[in-house]
Order: sequence, then structure tokens, then C-alpha cells
Amino acid sequence: MSVLPLDAAGKRPAFFDEPGMDQLVSMMLELAAELWVVKERVFVLESVLGQQGMAARDAVEAYVPTPEEQQTLAAMRATMTAQLFRTLARDHRPVNT
Amino acid sequence: MPMELLHDLKVSHPQDTRARQDFVSALRGYVLNDMAAGMKQRYQQAVAPALAQRLGRPAATQDDVHDAMKGDLFFKFYSSVRYNAQEMVWRSVVPGIEAALPEMQARAVAVQDRAGGTLTLDPALDLPENVTEIDVHLMPGVHAAPDTPAAGAIYDNGLAVFSAGFMGRELNDIGMSMANYIAKKFPDFRPADILDAGCTVGHNTLAWAQTYPGARVTGIDVASSVLRYAHARAGSLGIAAHFHQMDATSLAFPDASFDVVFSSMFLHEMSVKDIKRFFAEAHRVLRPGGLLVNMELPPNQALEPYDQFYLDWDCYYNAEPYYRAFRDQDYPLLTRAGGFAAEDYLQFTVPQYTYMEDSAFAEAVHRPATIDGETGRLSASLQWFGFGAWKR
Repeated sequence: MSVLPLDAAGKRPAFFDEPGMDQLVSMMLELAAELWVVKERVFVLESVLGQQGMAARDAVEAYVPTPEEQQTLAAMRATMTAQLFRTLARDHRPVNT
Repeated sequence: MPMELLHDLKVSHPQDTRARQDFVSALRGYVLNDMAAGMKQRYQQAVAPALAQRLGRPAATQDDVHDAMKGDLFFKFYSSVRYNAQEMVWRSVVPGIEAALPEMQARAVAVQDRAGGTLTLDPALDLPENVTEIDVHLMPGVHAAPDTPAAGAIYDNGLAVFSAGFMGRELNDIGMSMANYIAKKFPDFRPADILDAGCTVGHNTLAWAQTYPGARVTGIDVASSVLRYAHARAGSLGIAAHFHQMDATSLAFPDASFDVVFSSMFLHEMSVKDIKRFFAEAHRVLRPGGLLVNMELPPNQALEPYDQFYLDWDCYYNAEPYYRAFRDQDYPLLTRAGGFAAEDYLQFTVPQYTYMEDSAFAEAVHRPATIDGETGRLSASLQWFGFGAWKR
């Protein structure tokens, strides 16, 4: 069980009039922080691989995905995009499809 | 980038946590430099003219400015991002400290006596309300584990992220700048006993020991956890200092026992009534010829309404309830309330000692104090503000 609290006492201020905007900014910044953590990790990973004789950064730059991999990536992107806009999508298609 | 702590209580955060701290620190740098500059421009170009038209006069007070800015979308994002960044500072360090705590305690015990410093706790001390009732600057956990150095660790590690490079490599730029200002401005003044009131983990306390080798340096705070940490940190750094759990408004030291009473970023955490009590106590424990010197935010009366509003953001949104009431005071009058004579008042601004050559700093201390919108504000052109008084 954790002893040290993560949250300060007291009510968080609302800077925006629209309900949810303040929470959205928090979520966006947490996502940005997580994105940075991943970016830094990839960078470090490439450096570590490079030190071990695998020129990963250059290899990544020069890498051309196979046609099969391109299809896989295209599907992954489509899924991600659909998830990103899933709430908007609800407004223009039946919910249960 | 967060500053890496340079002593034995340093916590080894996992790589992902360090990356998160990098991000938060950079985010704060962006908010405090880029967004702040953008917000001021937005005020000057759009908000202020509209406000002047509505009022039939220019903004006269920071409340005029604040009321107008509250409706501005840029201000909302600035505030929202800054508030979140503040929360993220603490959240980026607490889990690592929690995990490291047992081992940190063992290390603290191993190093705390290395430099000949001491720790004197007072379990019977009544903690003042400004400490028990508020998580100041949104720092959680001050009272969660008082028998451990945890709160000190949260503050030290948090400041390493929070400072975003503005407080020096060892997070002691305030203490180093203030102590060196006094040493260079008043070379004949040779204090033997120095007190730092509200010292937390002793970042700025030790700066006095470094500036005046041979002086006996004492730090007081009401919170036991930060003092445990301060004691061990000083031991690890090899600097002797004596830490006491004590309330600055009611000092246990005899009359005329110090040559310097110092505080930094301390007065704005107290009610005006308590500041006056502290100044009266400082006057009592100072020897004749001794100096009260406080590093603080500049007074509102020296600033334009927008700059007043900008600095008092912390009062409205960063759990700093006493901030503005303090900054609204007439500082010379405050020292007079403590018993110091009007003509013995002193105030100054200094550049950042640890970021410049010693010789350049020595020249800078002879320039007159200029207070403007950059004074005391964490930004690229930062100058610290100090004030106090000599005791006759």
C-alpha cells in the first residue's frame, strides 16, 4: 500500500467554462508525457543497439517495409485513426454496427 | 532537463520516469518562458485595449487585469497547462521516492554525521496551520511519513524537476546569490553565527556555510521530515550545519545570538501577522550590527498591474494563499514592525551567482536595485530580490 499521496489536498480550479475541458487538458498533457517517454525510450534503444554494433538508427532510416508489412501498417493506422475519432464516428453511423 | 541530485540521498528513478521528468521540466520551461511571453503580448495587444475601453481608463490594479484575463482563452490554456505541470512535477517523483524510502533512510543514517552537523527535533512542537492545512504549491505528502526523510526527498527531487534550470546546478542559486551579495557588498561584515529560518532541506542554508567558512550555520523548520533530509544531505555534502525543529515566530534561541537571520521563499508562506512576529524574533536574536535578510518576490507596489497579476498567479491557482497579502505589504514597514529602524532598511536585486563569473557578480552587486516584471520571476532574465534591515 502506498504511504505517500500523489494528489495535493484541495479542489482543483476550473479554468474553462465548458465542463470537461480542464480534464481534457490534463489528459492531453498526460498523453503527451507518455508519448515523450516512448520517444525517449526508442531513442535510447537505438543508441544502445548502436553501441552493441547494430546500427539500428541508420537501419531504421533506410528500412523499406515489405509489401506485406506495408499492408499490416496500413491496417494498424486505420485502426488507430478510427479509435481516435470513435466518438465523432458515433454521430454519423448507427451505434451498434 | 531536471537537475541530477549530487548527494547520497539521490533516488535512482527508472528510465521512463526520468524521461517523464525531462518532459515535465521542459513543459515548465515552455510555460514560464514562451507561453508567459505570449500571454503578456496578448494582454498588451488585445486584452488591455478592450479593458481600457470597457472601464473608460487603463487597468489600475491587478484585479482589473485578472478579471479581464479570466475570459481570455490564452490565459485559460496557460493556467491549465501550468497547473497540470505543477501536479506532474510531484507525480513524477513520488513513486520513485516511495520505492526507495527504506534504502534512503539507511543511507541517511550512514552519512548524516559525516560533516559534524547536528539535528535537534522537537516532537512537542505545535505545527502552524499554514503547514498542516495546506499542501503548499500543490506538493502532496508533507505529513505522510514524518519519521522518514520522505517529504524532504519529495521537495528536493520535485525542485530538481520544477526549477527547469532556474535554480542552479545544486538547486542552491538563491542562497549562493544572497550570501555572496552580502559578502561582496559588505566585505567588512564577517558573521560568525547565521540562522536560516524555514530552511526546508537546506539548499540555501549550506550556501552560507560555503560563503562564510568558519561561521556556525543553523537552519530551522517546523517539519521534521525535511529536517531529517536536510541533516543527511548536509552530511553527504560534507558541510556542517545544525538543524532544529522550531517555529520562526517563536525562536528558542537566546537574545543576541546571531549575526545574520536569513530566509528565502519563506515569508510568502505566512500570514502578515506571523511575518511581523518572525521579524520581531529576528530582531531579538540578532546581535547589534547583525542583519536580517530575506530573499522574496518583489512587492506589488513596485510593479505594473500586469506584472503584479502575473506573479500572484500562484496565490490564485497554486495553493499559495498568503502570497498576495504578503506582496501587497510595504516591506520597509514590515521590518519596522519587527523593531528595525526605518533608516536601517535594505533592499536589492541580484543576478544569479551560480550562472556567472565571480568577478562579474562582484561588479553587479554595486548596481542599484531595479525592480521590473522580470524580478523574482522564473524566466531567462531572472534577478533575485532581497530585503531586510540592519540591527543597531
